[in-house]
Amino acid sequence: MSAPDPSTTVDPSTTVRPTRAVVACVKFTTILPEVDPLDGGVDPDVRRAGLSESDLAAVEVALRLGVDHGVPVVAVSVGGADADPSLVELLATGVARAVRVDTEGAPSATVAGLIASALHDRRIDAVAVVCGDYSSDGGSGSVPAFLAHELGMAQALGLIEIEVEVPGSLRVVRRLDGARREVVSLQLPAVVSVEGGVADLRRAPLAALLAARPGDIEVVPGGSTVHLEPARQRPWRPRSRVVPAPQGEHALDRIVALTGALVERTPPRTIELPPAEAAQAILDQLAVWGYVDDERPGTTDAPTPDAVERSDTPPLLG
Amino acid sequence: MSAESYPEMSFEARMGTVDFRIHERPHITLDDRKCVDCSVRGCITACPANLFVPTADGGILFNYEQCFECGTCYMVCNEEGAITWTYPDGGHGVVFHRS
Amino acid sequence: MPDVDVIVVGAGPAGAAAALEAARAGRSVVLIERGPFPGSKNMYGGVVYGRILDDLVPQWWEQMPIQRWVTRRQTMILTDDQALTVDYRTENWGRPPYNGATTFRPDFDAWFAERAVDAGANLINSTTVTGLLRDGNRVVGVRTDRPDGDLTAHVVIACDGVNSFLAKEAGLYHHDGAENYTLGVKETIALPRDVIDERFNVRGDHGVDIEMLGASPDVPGGGFLYTNAESLAVGLVLSLPALAASGLRPEERIAQLKAHPAIAPLVEGGEVKEYSAHVIPEAGFDMMPELIADGLLVAGDAAAMCLAAGIWLEGVNFAIGSGAAAGRAAAVAVRHGDTSATGLEGYRARLESSFVLADHRKLRDAPHLVMSDLAQQRLPALACGVVEQLFTVGNPVPKPGLRRIVRGEMKRNGVKLRDAAAQGWRALRTFG
Repeated sequence: MSAPDPSTTVDPSTTVRPTRAVVACVKFTTILPEVDPLDGGVDPDVRRAGLSESDLAAVEVALRLGVDHGVPVVAVSVGGADADPSLVELLATGVARAVRVDTEGAPSATVAGLIASALHDRRIDAVAVVCGDYSSDGGSGSVPAFLAHELGMAQALGLIEIEVEVPGSLRVVRRLDGARREVVSLQLPAVVSVEGGVADLRRAPLAALLAARPGDIEVVPGGSTVHLEPARQRPWRPRSRVVPAPQGEHALDRIVALTGALVERTPPRTIELPPAEAAQAILDQLAVWGYVDDERPGTTDAPTPDAVERSDTPPLLG
Repeated sequence: MSAESYPEMSFEARMGTVDFRIHERPHITLDDRKCVDCSVRGCITACPANLFVPTADGGILFNYEQCFECGTCYMVCNEEGAITWTYPDGGHGVVFHRS
Repeated sequence: MPDVDVIVVGAGPAGAAAALEAARAGRSVVLIERGPFPGSKNMYGGVVYGRILDDLVPQWWEQMPIQRWVTRRQTMILTDDQALTVDYRTENWGRPPYNGATTFRPDFDAWFAERAVDAGANLINSTTVTGLLRDGNRVVGVRTDRPDGDLTAHVVIACDGVNSFLAKEAGLYHHDGAENYTLGVKETIALPRDVIDERFNVRGDHGVDIEMLGASPDVPGGGFLYTNAESLAVGLVLSLPALAASGLRPEERIAQLKAHPAIAPLVEGGEVKEYSAHVIPEAGFDMMPELIADGLLVAGDAAAMCLAAGIWLEGVNFAIGSGAAAGRAAAVAVRHGDTSATGLEGYRARLESSFVLADHRKLRDAPHLVMSDLAQQRLPALACGVVEQLFTVGNPVPKPGLRRIVRGEMKRNGVKLRDAAAQGWRALRTFG
């Protein structure tokens, strides 16, 4: 992560009192991507761009949380100046401050870091951070998680309902696989991300819109526009491996052997662990399967999935 | 390669080329009790978005969502008060890009 | 005191021109657009004649977003299986100060509205004006669909398009029957640039404008085909009452046109990228509303300033011309402290002395002539028939004389010499 250049950034943390606020994170991006069928490129037409439905919902949720907690709302965006008209409109809807970290093309972890440092530098003490669930240009929805890590806050992502039990405590509902729901009681401060259906952003009053000016946006230099991430050398799939030639007299037998369709397999298992250990267990298993590189010493020769299946520890339920 | 070898695109595909930002409020409403007596029913032919569909019981089914906001329907309408026509809320409705 | 001097409703070409001129004259201007950006609701055939911009945006051709400069103009007369084309090309239209250009309205309108913003107008997008605010008979502002959405002004300029609910609410329209309107429908069809260059015999940023007569045989109107940089605009203009009564839907008519033997080779293999539709005020001068009321001016399509006169199909230039005149007149009236209908009378004077009303008055008969059954169906068949006979080599039968061919074709197409002469005389008086 590239921190803002200390020589150009005055550290206001020594002079300004911290402001408690609800923070809404938004991204100006393509909402109706027009994808070239041949090269997969996305038309960068600014008129097809804007804040996604879920980001707009996040702002509305933030405005409501702001009222419930008696604090202002600060909108933060990482991106280029194209976002300014949208941010001006947010100011007119009732957002007290709009901060844009001026940089483009930053990956999720960097974006989260930039947001965290912008909040820190401006002495904004987040009561809650609300994000859209993921951006409409094929985003992974990982910024909120990185942000929770950067800010050291709890996280509850992909919410479909959110309400304040008492100030400082939220009752939220998450969407799970298989049409299941998870009701979570969440203590603030926390990072939440919401789906677009959670709320419709109120419209900006006309007078406020007439009064809002692009100059009201606080633009923070985002540092170098070259964001160095460790380059990923291979695609997101397991390592390729040598499969021995299948045995069998007939072609059908060999195909069946190749697919493993009729071979008895170890049934999936469900494990219940504390969060940290569960995360580690998932990472370990992904490393075993070859989805992620495991660079811990001594584990470079990860067994193949076949090896795992033959071992005593059955694989996790995906 | 002749034009005949290409089938005309389906109407759904045709409307799929258009960017509509749909609002939950129907900006046009149809009182199709008035359509039962209408002998002309020009809207069914003239609406470029084909939003007026005759029903078996003599009424007309109307959907506001893929509307060009052109005004054809209320202009050709023969029955006073059958169509209530307004523009969609600001920022919503059709958005042209290559017109 | 009102909130601002001038409110302009609609950021199309008329509204942007009005806002530009009023703001340049030092007035505070709010320009209200209901779409998410100017031009997002707008569709047209495809050509902007830019010379009207000479006074408004110096060197406009260096910055206006264009697809191609029209250097080749064709008028095509179609029957089911014939086409007679008059083809004109000139390099003069391909260099400054140019003539017409194809451009997409979302590009052009957004660019032009930005010029008004540069001049100081406050552009508010995504805001629908739902009605007029009045004090007695006087218009004092507009109501919008935003919270706290009332806005007051000395003058409201209604550039709210062909449906102009503001002009109608103010009681200014007296001729808004469906017979005065046409429906424009078009497809934007993508083709590679070099394919367009080859098919239309043009190079670089030069392009073609084809107007068609007889493109929709049973419904009065016309057809058009314009070249963009990497797409074609193909469409029809259709008389509303006749279309409604015809039983054949607009997109089916486009499909028919695209299958015409003279058009099919031009469009084949292209992919439809956008289908669009818009209503056109077709009847010109005779349908125009009152243009001025207390505190209110009407310009552009809202004032039926579209010129659909057969060989001339223009609208954006009339919108800009009338909008600019309205903006200037409003600014003067505000400065003089009289924005009543009398105080705003300067608008009419400006229109009368410019091409806007002069052309419309002169060509007031043209829409009727062009939309007549004679011009729409029988003359195209007659013309194609004459030419076909003239150039059909029927050896060993000797060539027939031209007079005999014409007489025979007139009879076959039910054109009486008397009618043709009368129509010809009207046409001469109108266009001459």
